[in-house]
Amino acid sequence: MKRDLAASGDLTRELAEVRFSDLYRRHARELLGYALRRSADSDDAADVVAETFLIAWRRLGDVPPGDEARLWLYGTARRVLANQVRGARRRDRLTERLRGELRRRLPARPPREDGPILEALAELREADRELLMLIGWEELTPTEAARALDISPLAARTRLHRARRRLRARLAERQPSNPRTAEIEVEEAG
Amino acid sequence: MSTERIEGALRAANPLPSEALAALDLGGGEAALGRALVAESALAGETAARPAGTRRPSRSALVVAAGAVAAAVVAAIVLLVGGGASESQRAYGAELVRFAESSPLLLLEGPGWRVEDIYEAGHGQYLPKGSAGAGSMEFVTGRPVPPDSVRILPDGTERGLAPASVRQRKVELSWHTDDLGFGWGAVPHPIHLPVLDTTALVNTRAGRIVIQDAAGRHVIESGGPGDREMAAVWKENGYLLELRAAVPNLAAFEERLGWLTRVDLQTWLDAMPANVVKAADHDAVVREMLKGIPVPASFDPGMVPDEGLTTSRYQVGAAVTSTITCLWFRQWGEARRTGDRAAAAEAEKAMATSRHLPILHEMAKEGGYPKLIRELAAEMPRGYRLHAGHRWRLLPQAEGLGCARRGIPVLPWKQRLQRERRERQETN
Repeated sequence: MKRDLAASGDLTRELAEVRFSDLYRRHARELLGYALRRSADSDDAADVVAETFLIAWRRLGDVPPGDEARLWLYGTARRVLANQVRGARRRDRLTERLRGELRRRLPARPPREDGPILEALAELREADRELLMLIGWEELTPTEAARALDISPLAARTRLHRARRRLRARLAERQPSNPRTAEIEVEEAG
Repeated sequence: MSTERIEGALRAANPLPSEALAALDLGGGEAALGRALVAESALAGETAARPAGTRRPSRSALVVAAGAVAAAVVAAIVLLVGGGASESQRAYGAELVRFAESSPLLLLEGPGWRVEDIYEAGHGQYLPKGSAGAGSMEFVTGRPVPPDSVRILPDGTERGLAPASVRQRKVELSWHTDDLGFGWGAVPHPIHLPVLDTTALVNTRAGRIVIQDAAGRHVIESGGPGDREMAAVWKENGYLLELRAAVPNLAAFEERLGWLTRVDLQTWLDAMPANVVKAADHDAVVREMLKGIPVPASFDPGMVPDEGLTTSRYQVGAAVTSTITCLWFRQWGEARRTGDRAAAAEAEKAMATSRHLPILHEMAKEGGYPKLIRELAAEMPRGYRLHAGHRWRLLPQAEGLGCARRGIPVLPWKQRLQRERRERQETN
């Protein structure tokens, strides 16, 4: 059995492309959803997807196998979003076609009735907000969300309890001007 | 405001519900980005590394990783029909015919060679459109060739690699039709060889793999004189095909390429091995596995997912037992919430029989799934699971079987989510 210790980028790349293609096929849409739910517009979301997968490509060795990869991508996208806010470089050239499709397919967002919830959410600490959104929007279990956030399941449960309490408090501070919120408050009171 | 209300309000505020995301038709936008990402990294000279590990990936595993084979491993289910029937009497299941019709219909017609296994790509909820038509086949001569189980020891030596004489009795052919353009990555010192009516790009050193460990990146080359792994890729009729084989030399690889033959649909179907289950048999296999298993009143055999062109007996067994386990846990959870002791006891008693179920005994020889089911069953009377010094609620553990994905969520909030989705779908 011959063993050659010389690194070979070409060979590595051949293997990596196979894995990356699978990663992209399986998770690009979910990651796009994650980004769209958190970005100001679809251009930003496309940028987050591109940047996240570029990181995944460079660090393919760190991406866990199976469904864990999705959680790793969420965690990475979260950091990309944070950098995007700080004005990191854009990937316009890469995302040109996707941006065009998104503009065509995604209708302009109508005014929403659940403003108070989103407003209350926005007032939370980022870590609390992200945990609530991962569970409520990405439909992760607390254990899965813990992996995405790189914290222990126990810490996630503690933080989740705290985040819900804070969100509840923020909502309670608001006037029940929104029909949905009003309904919730009335039912709770009853 | 209760936790459930908070969760409900949050879900309702989701700006892009998952069903709307899944329905989003982005044309070729996603695929275009995928291609651009790989091209971008090539321009920048960025190279990804294989995950650190000690196990040499079998080619089958790589094919799985490529998405060319994910969901439907056609392996070990014995045909229930046609044991003594002639080949012409075989009525192939619609799923197998469908798979055949989306396959390139090639056979390796070398002397003594046969189809050992076929695999179909699965596509998940979010896979882009157009990724259908992917699969692979294994051809062997002589006895079946076991999968690789190589370990790379800390000193860099390999253990467990089958002898060359065994590995060289297998050829793998895989294909897919999507337009992501992957698979044509840099092939070092490629050569060209004829295949069918076209020319293939051949990597004559495909057996080299790269690992990364604490000591840095290593390239390990399996084989040596008289033992090479080679891979050919080519495009034909809209398919990207790859043939991979361990061979003694280039001439042997060229010979294997030359054995590839286009055949008609019936010939291809007739070449399928006896262990390929016919789709029509799936229900019969499920019925056989269900014998002796107590099922809840809400159970319907149609709930057991049929993943398309089938699967190994282990996979069918997992689908059957997890479906029933999810139903029993759902009943158990609801009973405990409402104080219905009789219903909870019924679920616990039913799950306790898992210790004796023949299908779980059979599956235990291949994997750890039966152990998980039995552990969950054993913990039901206690109501929680002890792990790492903590008590874990059982319902989330049961949910981990994939109950929600099977349409049988056991957690109350996932059940609500399911109801809300259905209501939205009915409204739309």
